[in-house]
Amino acid sequence: MANVSETAAVAAHPHHGEAHPDFLQHHFDTPAQQFSASKLGMWIFIATEILMFGGLFCAYAIWRALEPQVFDDAHHFLNKIFGATNTVVLLFSSLTAALAVRSAQLGKRSETSAYLVVTIACACVFLVIKYFEYAHKIHLGLLPGHCFGHPGFSGTIQNGEETGTCLRVHADQPGGSPEWVRAVDEDGRVQLLPPRANMFFALYFVMTGLHGLHVLIGMSILTWVLVKNLQGKFSKEYFTPVDLGALYWHLVDLVWIYLFPLLYLVGKPE
Amino acid sequence: MEPTTAHAGHSAAHGDGSVSGGHDDGQVHAHLSSAQFYWGVFGALVVLTIITWRVSYYDFGPANVFVALLIATAKASLVAAFFMHLRYDSLFNTLAFLAAFLFLGLFILLTYDDLGKRAQVDPEYGGTVLPETGQNAPGGLPATTATANEAERGEAPPGKGVGKKAE
Repeated sequence: MANVSETAAVAAHPHHGEAHPDFLQHHFDTPAQQFSASKLGMWIFIATEILMFGGLFCAYAIWRALEPQVFDDAHHFLNKIFGATNTVVLLFSSLTAALAVRSAQLGKRSETSAYLVVTIACACVFLVIKYFEYAHKIHLGLLPGHCFGHPGFSGTIQNGEETGTCLRVHADQPGGSPEWVRAVDEDGRVQLLPPRANMFFALYFVMTGLHGLHVLIGMSILTWVLVKNLQGKFSKEYFTPVDLGALYWHLVDLVWIYLFPLLYLVGKPE
Repeated sequence: MEPTTAHAGHSAAHGDGSVSGGHDDGQVHAHLSSAQFYWGVFGALVVLTIITWRVSYYDFGPANVFVALLIATAKASLVAAFFMHLRYDSLFNTLAFLAAFLFLGLFILLTYDDLGKRAQVDPEYGGTVLPETGQNAPGGLPATTATANEAERGEAPPGKGVGKKAE
């Protein structure tokens, strides 16, 4: 008897005699259950992403604690205007991503597409600004291995010889390092940095580089969501990919929210 | 027993926080915020960005980084709570999210503790040396510091360059 009533329940499933919708995977009972399972999976993935970036934030915390002065000096080589602009661009793209989800919830398909396009466009603006920042820093020679070759590895000291636009110089200071890096920072000041300042720049390149990679991946995901949306795959009842794609994009925003003050707005005023 | 009732109970047991209303029809009922509300959150985020910028021109000493992190955390909370819908979502998702920060905190604290008990930074090149002897500290990079190398051999005082040796 129990069997019979179960079969009857499946036949009547879900309610009001509706058919099992296409988007509902067979191992889920209801769209709501499928939706919450997808969300939980996404949040666990976001937790792993935080832990991945966490390793770099840990390295940052340790090196900054050890070398507050070096971090303070070296951060003047980052352009605050670019950094702040990129922050607002990403915040705005997060807004449009949230609005895209909202439109999807309401089943407004063309509005969703429009918001997704704006979000992807903001991602492009972010990367273009990042390109200009990187290009300038690479030109200056702030990558590891130019001015910042490790003293132990460099066979010769180029005493005053130009390598890129930063210089390796001898600075005879009592108790000071024999080899310094001379370069002009974003405020137009000539700075003498110790060779170990490359820790700051290495962290800058790796942290923003990994973040930039996430921007690229986020753009690809949102583009895929956009294509599916244009194909009419989503509806009021099923918009999970729009929601999860936006969650990934917000994660990119979250990481940048921490990167901006930690890299661009380090400490002490003049 | 009515099959539909059993079914509804089953779905609720899966802890979907987004199910609203008195009845559970198994459909997705995610919380819907107004567009104006999202714009308001964006406005707050921009204001906080301006604050974090302005605040970087004031010196709070060692607290600088904590002030910056506090504002960043306020921004991140806004994004997570409203843009990412955590406020209206299942509490379990929030727990999964916050657990990451808990373990990240443990990771950083233990690394910090380990570092504090090892050695000091060589003022010349930034490697770690034992403060008493000037030798390379265990666990640090091998032979990366001029003073450490020279101190091991009992040679020149600090301040003489590695670069000269390499020539």
